Parts: sequence; structure tokens; C-alpha cells
Amino acid sequence: MAAAARGVLLLSLLVLLLNATFCSGDTYRRQLSLELNPGLNSSVSPLPPGINLVHIRSLGDGDTLHFLLCNQGPPTLLIVHTNSTSSSVQVDWPAFLSGNNSGSLRVEPENSVLHSNALVLVRLWEYDDLNDTADPQTVPPSSFLPPYELSRFQWGPLNSSTLDPQGPGGPEARLCGGDGSPAFSQGELCLQLSTFGSGGRAAGWPGLLHSANSSQLGFWLQGVRPRADRARFLLELQGLGRPHGPGRVEVRRSIDDEYSPSIFTVSQWLATPPDQSSPVLGFVQWRPVAYRRPQPEFSDTTPCHHSAPAAVEAAASGLGPAFYGAEAEASGLNISFGQPGEPAYNTTQYLSWTVLAGVGAPPADSFSPLVICIMAVGLGTPLLLLLLGGVFVCVRKHRLPRGRATGQSTRTTAWPRGRATGQSTSTTAWPSGRATGQSTRTTVSEASEGTLNALVGV
Amino acid sequence: MTQFHTLRWRVYSLPPQRTRTTCPRTKYNNMTDIEERQSLLGNVNGESEAEEPGKQMSAISDPTRLLHRIVVLIFMCFLGFGSYFCYDNPAALQTDVVQDMNLNTSQFMQLYAWYSWPNVILCFLGGFLLDRVFGIRLGTIIFSLFVCVGQVIFAAGALLNRFWLMEVGRFVFGIGGESLSVAQNTYAVNWFKGKELNLVFGLQLSMARLGSTVNMNIMGWVYSRVADLIGSKGPSTLGTALMIASVTCFFSLVCALVLGYLDRRAERILKKEQGKTGEVIKLTDVKDFPLSLWLIFIICVGYYVAIFPFIGLGQVFFIEKFNFSPAEARAINSVVYIISAPASPILGFLVDKTGRNVIWVMCAVVTTLAAHMMLAFTFWNPWIAMSLLGVSYSLLACALWPMVAFVVPDHQLGTAYGFMQSIQNLGLALISMAAGAILDNRGYLFLEVFFCACICISLIAVVVLYLVDFLQAGEMNLSAAARARLYEETRLQEEARLQKEAPSDSE
Repeated sequence: MAAAARGVLLLSLLVLLLNATFCSGDTYRRQLSLELNPGLNSSVSPLPPGINLVHIRSLGDGDTLHFLLCNQGPPTLLIVHTNSTSSSVQVDWPAFLSGNNSGSLRVEPENSVLHSNALVLVRLWEYDDLNDTADPQTVPPSSFLPPYELSRFQWGPLNSSTLDPQGPGGPEARLCGGDGSPAFSQGELCLQLSTFGSGGRAAGWPGLLHSANSSQLGFWLQGVRPRADRARFLLELQGLGRPHGPGRVEVRRSIDDEYSPSIFTVSQWLATPPDQSSPVLGFVQWRPVAYRRPQPEFSDTTPCHHSAPAAVEAAASGLGPAFYGAEAEASGLNISFGQPGEPAYNTTQYLSWTVLAGVGAPPADSFSPLVICIMAVGLGTPLLLLLLGGVFVCVRKHRLPRGRATGQSTRTTAWPRGRATGQSTSTTAWPSGRATGQSTRTTVSEASEGTLNALVGV
Repeated sequence: MTQFHTLRWRVYSLPPQRTRTTCPRTKYNNMTDIEERQSLLGNVNGESEAEEPGKQMSAISDPTRLLHRIVVLIFMCFLGFGSYFCYDNPAALQTDVVQDMNLNTSQFMQLYAWYSWPNVILCFLGGFLLDRVFGIRLGTIIFSLFVCVGQVIFAAGALLNRFWLMEVGRFVFGIGGESLSVAQNTYAVNWFKGKELNLVFGLQLSMARLGSTVNMNIMGWVYSRVADLIGSKGPSTLGTALMIASVTCFFSLVCALVLGYLDRRAERILKKEQGKTGEVIKLTDVKDFPLSLWLIFIICVGYYVAIFPFIGLGQVFFIEKFNFSPAEARAINSVVYIISAPASPILGFLVDKTGRNVIWVMCAVVTTLAAHMMLAFTFWNPWIAMSLLGVSYSLLACALWPMVAFVVPDHQLGTAYGFMQSIQNLGLALISMAAGAILDNRGYLFLEVFFCACICISLIAVVVLYLVDFLQAGEMNLSAAARARLYEETRLQEEARLQKEAPSDSE
């Protein structure tokens, strides 16, 4: 037993070691820097209130990623991947802020751009889910309320409280705003961009696994007054890209729900060349789950569903046309929140959803080191014991051949369940009068060996 | 009440006699004795068969005949039906309970934990209460009452939307539930010892599982019917559905009453004692427990905590992971019980015939581990895993529990079984709470891995048990034939010794 205990101890040490190695995980690191409104000379082109362009530069060994978030027009996250370590973002601010901003934002040198894609949050739909279907396809059009056009929102300023150059993974920026209507008098819609210098996993649900090549965009509605008795929401998204925009949505089943309990799928909207075998260029990935409270518990989980992506006309303003002009491939899809039987938005007046966007192949979840270690120890220990025990038993059986030739044979010791021990005669059924332990055995083997031997042939 | 006490006094005042093992099943040839006893006991109900004991009674009313025993068996089986039906009410209505009462999973699992808490202690006291305080008949009725009242409080808690009251209900229900099965077993031993006892245990388990199965598959329907009638879902819907479920408990109470009557009648006719659990709980015995027994405890706890809490949480698991509808999820969640119902007697027979209990236990534990791993790490059709779980669960029950009798002497059996159940309940209470918390924070994969870890602990204990038994040349893992030979040898040996001693005694 002591040996077994020592073995377990050793194994658990191994576990800790493994854990440490695993946790460092994706070791690829990037240098991140944050810049607000790159190249803006506010005396030449003053910014309209609330408009901001956040630029996070992510410098790798031989490449650079540019993450751009802008709330001019519909809020847009643009990711540009260049194969140069010195690429930079150039903005023609007067043009950028004008009505037609096509081509006013460039990443130079232009031939260094490998791939780019953008995620646009176009509008937020609200509908009255009277029949509790949570399926916008089956809801009569009359139940739909006028959508919130995110391009018309007024956004709060980006300042020290909403901009964090030293976030847990990398620089972060938060944009909150509303359309000024009574519904938003007490509430707001927020977007939070998080970038990462290395691989890892965001704290809190849904705990998406990220690499240094991705950024995470959180979306939440807080305190926005519902305009219906059973309000549910629908978020309209667009994906842009060059040379290829996000096209198909792949739903991968995953047995691992450790970081987003009870969610067993991952949806990823992939930008792939027409040739399916070539590597994925960019992705938008999410767990089909939203939460009804800021600090969610298991019961605050609500699933979300996406519609099939369809080719659409790109939104006319904002970062999209500024970078792509009219060339981008655009496709759109809707994310609908909620599920039949679950409470509507009205109960908590809160809804959050998180999405990961990046270049290259989307990160794939694997078992956490803890899970692997538990299983390894759990399965390894009995196997080891069985193996050692098996060997031991074999050796022992081999060394003690059958028969009574050796005197104190195994069979003799196997018998003394008996009452040959001078106990009071008991007529009860068997195992009753069993005396304890060693004394019995010796008694039997000494006292009644003759009898036993006589009986063996029975 | 006094009736029972008089009877009990009479019973105790009779000279001790073995019921069935020592008294062969013969007709009473001593009429006077019987008459005497009748007058002693007082012919309370004046049944006809008692009036004419010398005559051949019809098979159905003759307590010595198989047919009568079958009738008794039926009541015996339905005695536990209500408590088993209601035990898994929360699992059958998991989503509804959680939504209507606005709970998280940890709170939901408290319903199971509260059931287990009283039994940590009652496992020791149950036998004592049955033997010394109430007697088996009254005790059974009292425990049935506890079950009924507990379920009604549970339902009332839902009706009034008071979760704490539901917990109180589960606590009261728990006080009755386990002790009732002790009573059920005692009845079984009393009526079937030396006859079809293993089969009867198997059948009782089957009936218990049937109760759980019916519950799993019918409660969802009951709930939705009630929701239709009331017009909305909510605590009152839940409460009404649970009230309806409590009917089964009242049904079991009726069985307890009938059984009490039949048992007393048999006592009068057969001159047998009132059944006893025979449990003499001496906590000081614990220090004498051999290593093998502790290993059996570990197997028991490690195994059962990976079964019952899993079933308690299963419904949502199948909905979320395998996209089952709630009705399908309930069905698959009950498949363990469905399989267990027919499999228990069959496997019990198999284990009886082959012996080698440790190997059977090992098979059961390994199969369960495989099933849990399938559920955790694959998307394979969960019917496969759940069926495996059902078979292995039944196999374990048949092979594990009898092993206790091989490692402790008879006079410690009560303590050993009490301790085993007590630890099991402690484990269930703690692991239920842990499982809820794990699910709330880490999700199903981690929960399954946790259950796998529990089973692994069980497996380690089985392997060690095998080795210990091998080293000590114990009889746990003997084949049935070897075991029979062993008993035969011991018996002959005993006789030889007696013969040898006899002359010396006379000297």
C-alpha cells in the first residue's frame, strides 16, 4: 500500500509538471502596441464626437497583424495580416471622415498584405416572441420591431477607463453607446476588443481558446429596455475579406465543454479559397452560447443560432469601404439568441455574446491538462497495479505448485473457515463461527491436518 | 399499538428457534402445540385457516406454500415502489425543477444530498429501530409513513414556491426511504431464507428499478398534462405533479399494511418469530474490520457515486450533448433501471452459480468505466453506453453486496452492512453536491472525468482486493463449486470433531 501511495504521489508530481508545460501552451508570442486614431492631426480634421479608430499593432517574428476597430458607420473590426515587420496603417483622415471614404485607409506597403478580413456589426433586431419559438424564421414580420442601426449609434469616448493598453492578454478597448432613444436611456450596447500577445484562454465564460493571431470581440446589451413583452434579439453581421471573405460556416462538434459548460459545438465562419483543400485564411469563431447575466451561472446560459451565410452588399460606410473600397467579398448572417422555453430578454435585461476573429486556421480546443492528468492517473494506477499484481500472482502460483507435498500448502490455508477451533458448537448456517486470523490457521494445520488430508479426496 | 407490543412480547418470550434453516418445511404435526400458541397469541382476526390448522389450507393462504409466498412477494416488491418512484422525481423533472424553482445545478443536487444526509446515521439506527423499538411490521409502516409525508412536504414546497421546504421534504423522505429498504430486505430474509432468497433480492431490485423507470418516463408526461390543465408552467405545476407522484407512496403504505397483516398471520400459523434485521450494530466492531472489507467499502462508494448523481443530472446532459428531446433524454436516463430490472435476477443467478465474485465485480467496474468514458469522450450513440451501464450496475449489485458476508463473521454483518450503507450515503451526499458544483463551473466533460476518476478509485480497490484475497486465500473469489466443497468439508470436519469430542465429554 505504501508503494502504491508513493506511486500516486509520484504521478501527481508528474501531473503538476505536465500541467506547467501544457499551460504555457502556444508559445508563439507577439509584441503588441496600441495607437488611437493613427496619424490624426486634429487641427486639420477634427473628429466628430464619439468617433474613434483604435489600432493595435501585433508584431511577430516575420509578420505583422493590424487590428483596427472603428465606430464610424457600423462598428467594424478589421484584421490585416502582412508579411512585413514594418507595415503601417495610413489614414487619409479628411477623406475617412467624409461621406464617401472609399480607399481612405491603407496598410503599407500594400504588397505585403497577405490577407485581411473584417467583421461588421450592422444592426440589432428585436422581436416579440409571443409563441415562444425563439426562431426568427417563424415569427410573423409584424412581430419585428424597427431594428437598431448600429451605424447611427452615439458612442462614448475612448479614454483611460475604456482603453487599456496593458490588458491581461494585450491591449483592450471598449466602446459603449446607444441610439439616444428611450430604450437606451438606462442601458447601453457595448463592444470590447481584446487582443493577445500569446495563446491562451480568456477568463470567464465562454472562455474561447485564442492564439496570438486572433482577437476577441465581446458584445453585450445591458439595461436596454425591451420594447416587447417577450423580447428576443437578433444580431446582423457581415463578414468582409480580400482576397476571400468569410464564406461557409462550419459547425464542429466538440466533446470538451469545460470552458463553456453544456456547450458541445463550435461554430466557425471561415474565409477559404475556393479550393477547399488549401489552408484557411481567416476566421470568425464562436461558441453558440450567450449569457443572460454579467456574472453568469450555469442557468444563465442561453444558446444562440446562426442563419446560413448569404452573399450581401457590403455596408456603405465605416471601416469596410475605407479599406476595401468596393472590392470586398461580403457575406452576411444573423445570430439569434434564446431558445424556446427559456426566459426572454426581459427577465434579466442583459445579453452577452463573444466571438473570436483572426487570421489563419481557427484555434482548436483540446483537453485541458487537468482532464488529461486525471484520466492518466485514474487509468494508469489500476493498470499498473493489475500488471504488477498479475506478475506477482503468476510467480506465486508457479512457486507454490498444487498438492500437499509441501505441507503447509495453499489449500490447507484456504480451508480454515472452519469451526475446528474449539469454539462452541454452533449450528447456524455457514460463515458464522469463523474465528479470527492466524490462530485459526495454525490450529487447523496442526491439530486436524490428518482429518483434512483424509477429507481432501472428497 | 398495544396489539403489536403484546405480540412482540409473546414472540420474544418463546424459546429461540430457527425459522427455516433448522425447521424443515413440514406440516405441524403437533396440534396441541398450535392450539396452545393460538391461545397465547390471541386469535385477533379469527381467520378461517387458523381455525382449522390441521386441515390442508389452500395453497394461496398457506404460508408454507410457494403460492402464498408469491403473494407475499408481490406486496414485498411494491413496498419499495413508492420510495423508488419518488426518489428520482427530481431527475425526471430536472429542467422543470430548475426552471420553475429558479435554481442552479448545485441547488438542484441539494435535493439528492438532503435525501442522503439522514441515512448516514440511519443506516446504523434503522436495524436497531426495526428490531428493538418498532418491530419489523410497525417499523415498516412507520417508515412508509415517513416516505409519504416527506413526498407531500416536498410537493408542498414546490406548490408554495419554497425551496427550503422542498429540501425539508427530501430530508423526511430520506429518513423513510433507506430504512424502508432495510425493512424490505428483512421481510425477504424472513420469508425466503434458505429458499429463493437470491432470486427474491433480485426481484426486489427489479421492482425498485421498475419504480424508477416508470417515474423517469411518466413524470414528464404528468408534468405537461398538469401544465396544460393549469395553463402555465411554474411552481404550482411542479407541486401538483409531485403531489400526484405521492400517490405511489401511499400505495406502498398500503402494501406495508397488508404485509404487516400477512406476516402476523404467518407468525401465528408457523410459530415463527417476527422477522429481525438481526443487525447488531456495534461500532467498536469497526476496528476489527479486515482490510478486505474496507476495500469493499471503497468500491461501493466509488462506484455508486458515479451512478446515482450521474442519473440525477443525466437529463440535461443528453439534451445538451446529444441533442435529445426532453422525452428521449428521460427515456435514455431510465435505461439503466430498465435493464437492471430483468438483468438483476439473471445476473444474480449467474453469480450464484459461478462464484468468483471479485472477478465479476472487476468486470462490472471496468464496464462502467468504459461506459462513462464513452459518454465523456465520444459522440457515439449514448444508448450503447447507458445499456452497458445498466448491465454493469446490476452485475455489481449482485456480486458486491454478498461479498461482505465472506469477510466478516455473522455477528458483525449488521455493523458491516450498516457501515457500508452509511459511507455510501455520505459519499452520495457529498458527491451530489460536488457534482452540481462541478457542472455549474466546469461543464459536463469535467463532470464525466470526475465520475471516471471515482470509478478508477473503485477499480484500484478491486484490484487490491483481488490481490489481498489471493494472498489471504480468502473465499471471495472462489468458484461456486469450490465454495460448496469448502462448506461440505467444513461440515464434515465439524462432524468428525464432534464425534471425537463426544466420548471425552462423557468421561
